[in-house]
Amino acid sequence: MDQKELREWEAKCIQEEPPACRAGCPLGVDARAFVQAMARDDVDAARGVLEKSMPLAAITARLCEAPCEAFCVRKELGGAIGIGCLERLCIEQGQTRGKTMRLPARPRSVAVFGSGPSSLAVAFELARKGYPVTVRHLGDAPGAWLRELPESVLPSAILDEELSRLSALRVTFVPVPILDEALIKAHPADAVYVGQDDALAPTLLASLGTPDPETFALERAGWFTGGMEEREHRFIGAVSHGREAAVSMDRFLQNASLTSSRVMLRNGRTALFTQTRGVTPVSRLVPADGVMFTRAEGVREAARCLDCQCLECVRHCVYLKEYGGYPKSYARRVFNNSAIVQGARQANTFINSCSLCGQCETLCPNDFSMAEMCLDARRQMVDEGRMPPSAHHFALEEMRSAQSGQAALAAHAPGAESSAILFFPGCQLAGIRPAQTLRLYDRLLEHEPLTGIWLDCCAAPAHWSGRAEEFAQLVRKLESVWADMGRPKVTTACSTCLKMFREHLPQLNAVSVWSVLAAQSVAASAAHPPLALSDPCPSRHDEGTRKDVRALLENMGQPLADLPMSGELTECCGFGGLMDNANPALARKVAAARVAQSDADFLTYCAMCRDQLAKTGKPVLHILDLLFPDLAHPATEPPAGISVRRVNRRMLKAALLERHGRGHLPRQPWEDVRLAISEPVAALLEERRILEDDLRQIIHRATQQGGCFTHGADGRKIASAELGEVTFWAEYREGDEGFVVLRAWSHRMRIKGGRS
Amino acid sequence: MSLTFLPQDMNWVCEPCGVPLEQGKVELDYLGNTFHVELPVCPKCGAVFVYEELALGRIFEVEQLLEDK
Repeated sequence: MDQKELREWEAKCIQEEPPACRAGCPLGVDARAFVQAMARDDVDAARGVLEKSMPLAAITARLCEAPCEAFCVRKELGGAIGIGCLERLCIEQGQTRGKTMRLPARPRSVAVFGSGPSSLAVAFELARKGYPVTVRHLGDAPGAWLRELPESVLPSAILDEELSRLSALRVTFVPVPILDEALIKAHPADAVYVGQDDALAPTLLASLGTPDPETFALERAGWFTGGMEEREHRFIGAVSHGREAAVSMDRFLQNASLTSSRVMLRNGRTALFTQTRGVTPVSRLVPADGVMFTRAEGVREAARCLDCQCLECVRHCVYLKEYGGYPKSYARRVFNNSAIVQGARQANTFINSCSLCGQCETLCPNDFSMAEMCLDARRQMVDEGRMPPSAHHFALEEMRSAQSGQAALAAHAPGAESSAILFFPGCQLAGIRPAQTLRLYDRLLEHEPLTGIWLDCCAAPAHWSGRAEEFAQLVRKLESVWADMGRPKVTTACSTCLKMFREHLPQLNAVSVWSVLAAQSVAASAAHPPLALSDPCPSRHDEGTRKDVRALLENMGQPLADLPMSGELTECCGFGGLMDNANPALARKVAAARVAQSDADFLTYCAMCRDQLAKTGKPVLHILDLLFPDLAHPATEPPAGISVRRVNRRMLKAALLERHGRGHLPRQPWEDVRLAISEPVAALLEERRILEDDLRQIIHRATQQGGCFTHGADGRKIASAELGEVTFWAEYREGDEGFVVLRAWSHRMRIKGGRS
Repeated sequence: MSLTFLPQDMNWVCEPCGVPLEQGKVELDYLGNTFHVELPVCPKCGAVFVYEELALGRIFEVEQLLEDK
């Protein structure tokens, strides 16, 4: 990812867009943060939020007309939050943060004519920046029409207190009898502001001209004005004019462009999306006394705030939640990870943990795809030789094993010379449910006798791990096997294989076996209570197959329970994208969150989903358990272990070779090593991804070639073997039941040599 | 920092050499980085013993660090 790509990714995620209330505030007050603090009954923090963006907050919060409320997303759901009322409650009860800081003094002077709200805002903003400001006002005291307000609205003591705050910022107030052009000319300054929200002399008003609507600059250089009569809100409109004019004056005084890179007022415009589906309308609270909320009322009213966020993707994705951010922040993390020159890369595991399931893209109003971003990052890591070798090692080994002569096979139907259809069960179904795979093949043969069988892996792990080159080679190899089989139509029982074929080998015209079966009459009749059907994530955009699966289940009379995140919103089981390899703990969380979505037992049509979800202890059925009741596995059956899957693939190939009269699968010499493994040791091997085949190879070598350590007291043995990238160790003892495995472990670091 | 790693139980005999393991010099390598440490070694044939706690502890940590470097 380069800088340009980073910007493009960032621009897609709208989570950092302001909430509608803030976008609608002419002062840009973070009303969401303010209301949230009020909901926590933290009035001091809430006041802090106001003071951060409001000039003279004690006045402004009391008089603000709250134009933000017109944009509030709650508006149609019980009425906009009473932000104006909450502002008044807050300013009455919250403690001020105290003194406003002033930047070091600047040499250029500012003259303000008039003392209405816009002029006071200009004085406040520029005095804070260190400019010496002189305010010339009519009457004895500054404040213009603010002085005419009733005590109940703006106590004069508060007005005076805020004016003294201005004095503390070195604002000088000078009473004058008239605000006219002669006065301005008599008191030259580097920048001039004329507040039209005060009683200007009509001649001055007539001579000012119209200011620029965004910068409030007049044609006369260095002159600015605001508080025009036609402003929408008498008070807050004037304050906003003053604020914007002050921004321009500061730029003018620094000889900077008035408009370049300037953040303009949004007038309520924001791209932030807030989901309101499922939000219960709650009516806006009216103060019991008709005037001011009590604290308790304020908390209740503020609690109606939706805390507008997008987070559409994060809400539904355990992975996105896990890392505490959202796609925009994640894009920066991915970028930084690739930009690191020295030191540890912090985001490798993050990048490798995405299941690439695509749910975020479907949910996102802007189609942000974490899958695309993470897969690109993985490819870059592989290209640059910095992909952690351990991240996907086991899955890639499993893929290679499924593609090896031990497990792979392409054969026409017994006795046939050609195939009309080629059945590709997928390596996980073959490994997890070999007997059902054979039965499914028989079912297909009944329908089409020229159905060949193709045992292999679709190479998804190479794709998911970012190994583009290896993946391209494997795809070519698959294509050549298919061509040798006479280019028949392919039908597969795996949603991942189907997706991979459709995207990378469209010439295979692959269809789902469930679609094939849905078109036939079904003998089986399901007798389960309603089941929650979990669509495998590769079927997200395959509506046809999803419909066929439902039709098949309906034909069998199997009722379904409601599962909210289904169809194109379906969720990953934790295996997709090799999440389970790179981050097994997270994969377990993902599966647990998925099965928690329904009290009903689960049903799926992906063998890997079945086993991943079943790891949680939830009863999960595979659709083949319904289709072939005599071969059904119990819903509560634990998943097939990694070693069992390897053995099953070999057995399936051997069984098919025998059927086809094509002889036997040659056995490896180490396959005859008899192991005795207790349940706790089996669990340890599973967690450490150590295969029984690995142990067989170690022990076979130790017994055949010699070389092990024997315990001096009890005769336990420890042997090791470097198998590919990994060195495996086994601790065992010999018994009547075979080699009793006591412990096993591995490391990737290579032993170059030892000497005493 | 000590770069000597020995298991609590050193009562292991190398087969077929028939001699007990002793502390010895070992060279380890990962992703082009070489480490010189002292581990249990057969004084006769030089066979090295990487015990479970070491493999899953210190060695794993270093592997992860190097992979993320």
